[in-house]
Amino acid sequence: MNLYQPHLVRVTDVVDETADTRTLRLQFKDPSVAESFDFRAGQFGEYSAFGAGECTFCIASPPTRKGYIECTFKAVGKATNALRGLGVGDTMGFRGPYGNHFPLDRMEGASLVFIAGGIGLAPVRCVIWNVLDQRDRYGDVTIVYGARSVGDLVYKHELEDWAARTDVRLWQTVDPGGQTPDWHGEIGFVPAIVEKAAPTADNAYAVVCGPPIMIKFTLPVLAKLGFPPERVYTTLENRMKCGLGKCGRCNVGPVYVCKDGPVFSAAELAQLPAEF
Amino acid sequence: MDTLFITRENLAALTADLLASGTHVAAPTRASDAQTEYRYVTDFAQVRLDGSMPRRSLKELFLPPTEPLLRWRQHQGDVELQEVPTSFPPTVVLGARPCDAAAVDVLDRVMGWDYRDELWFGRRAATTVISLACPGVDDLCFCSAVGGSPESTRGADLLLTPVTDGYHVTVVTDKGRSLLSAHPSRFGALPASGPLPAGPRIPAPGPLPLGQIRTWLESNFDHPLWHEVALRCHGCGACASVCPTCHCFDIVDEPEGVDRGTRRRNWDTCQTSVFTLHASGHNPRHDQGARFRQRLMHKFSIYPDKFGEVLCTGCGRCARACPAGQDIVELLGRIGALAAGNGHEKVEA
Repeated sequence: MNLYQPHLVRVTDVVDETADTRTLRLQFKDPSVAESFDFRAGQFGEYSAFGAGECTFCIASPPTRKGYIECTFKAVGKATNALRGLGVGDTMGFRGPYGNHFPLDRMEGASLVFIAGGIGLAPVRCVIWNVLDQRDRYGDVTIVYGARSVGDLVYKHELEDWAARTDVRLWQTVDPGGQTPDWHGEIGFVPAIVEKAAPTADNAYAVVCGPPIMIKFTLPVLAKLGFPPERVYTTLENRMKCGLGKCGRCNVGPVYVCKDGPVFSAAELAQLPAEF
Repeated sequence: MDTLFITRENLAALTADLLASGTHVAAPTRASDAQTEYRYVTDFAQVRLDGSMPRRSLKELFLPPTEPLLRWRQHQGDVELQEVPTSFPPTVVLGARPCDAAAVDVLDRVMGWDYRDELWFGRRAATTVISLACPGVDDLCFCSAVGGSPESTRGADLLLTPVTDGYHVTVVTDKGRSLLSAHPSRFGALPASGPLPAGPRIPAPGPLPLGQIRTWLESNFDHPLWHEVALRCHGCGACASVCPTCHCFDIVDEPEGVDRGTRRRNWDTCQTSVFTLHASGHNPRHDQGARFRQRLMHKFSIYPDKFGEVLCTGCGRCARACPAGQDIVELLGRIGALAAGNGHEKVEA
């Protein structure tokens, strides 16, 4: 079988996260693939609606939940709109998992801070559930999540779950003007809320994903809180085609994001030219 | 390496033998008086071994400009996939340019690291490459500046060197030896008179300071040079299209009616703005300078970093094809001078 041949997967659940963002739950149609498929938090895949082409997303569900994978995407182009047109029972393509992963082994015993903006919660959510499914292996868990408006928050039911848990500190925020009358969370940009939450940097790691502007202003806050750049991780979302280190699309300086990434520490990012 | 001899008549007979046995034969052919192209031939008379440079490189025999990756068919909400074969008919390339044959070997690195591209290696396995020692084409050739040579055997299974009555045949690989063994009557021992000199050569340029160029590239990401060179770059990607080592590709679905279609890979180029354009509208390489820089860096910094050698075999096609007259050797020379002079050469910002 050639490298570019996808597995067939069946859509088993569809969740509308926001007006334009949707989560698909997928099951492998081939029972032997379903049985053997495994991945690590942070890896990605190529998802395709036949006729519209492939698109690259992280696997948004955690590897601790077996039997399915999920992807969350915003319908912005031809392929994502075609995926949005699929319903429960429909068949699509998936190939992966590709790329490296978050260093969860190294994070064991440490406190974790998850910081996400908008749809950037998708890859972070995979790590969060991986950690919460193995809760005793990790220290304090803090989540700071923000979106432009209340309507743009994704995984709303899971935010409620996390808010209700006593072993998770959840800070939710929306940009000023994005609140609704019944909004009880914070109002302000993510970096400011991280500063307010002030998670300890003592034996701690941070995982950050969101719009470039959010990451840009969050990294100095983490540095100020005492997080060394080697303990701050993010995942790059470069345009990709093959996912296999062949097609030449995802270079950032010397790295192939699809093979050397997509997960990088802030220390590694600082070594790269600003081309992402 | 063994050296044998083949007359031109026997080379024609060998070609006929191969074609008769069902082997595909690709060779430089006359596309017009002025243009040569690598094409599949049906007769030795079509083969052009006069040393003229095929307009495009040999890479398209292994990475076609467009090729199917799979076919799909939908019926009642279900999808059926049809795989494409990864084994290919036996093929002989007759008269490959040494720079083109070397390029295929250079590309084996990226096609084989970690994930093995079976479409590439399927064609590689099925193909025997007979290179033709090169008399040099014009003063845009620079194989000798990037580690190659007009007599390079790299990527070749056999090397033909033209002499008065035929060709010396240098056996490079076991695959080349197998071709000889299968057609023993076509090859003979070297004539007693020994090697006969070929015609005068075009002087080959000396080596470029590739190490210094690489170091300079890695530390001058924001140098004004990139803006200056991009002012005369159309972003057309002709350089990448004719390049024997540029291998970037796109993957697209092409519907054929409402219920079926083909997923294909097509050549692509880092010189267009859409190459890296995100769905959000963000483009990490937002101007032509950044895109021009990427092509240079991929060839002379990124590829050496990953695979230990430059992604260029000095064929000179990019300079011949460029409608704006960009000359890669001239540019590398400038970068070499900037590197040697610690970046003090004047650049128009």
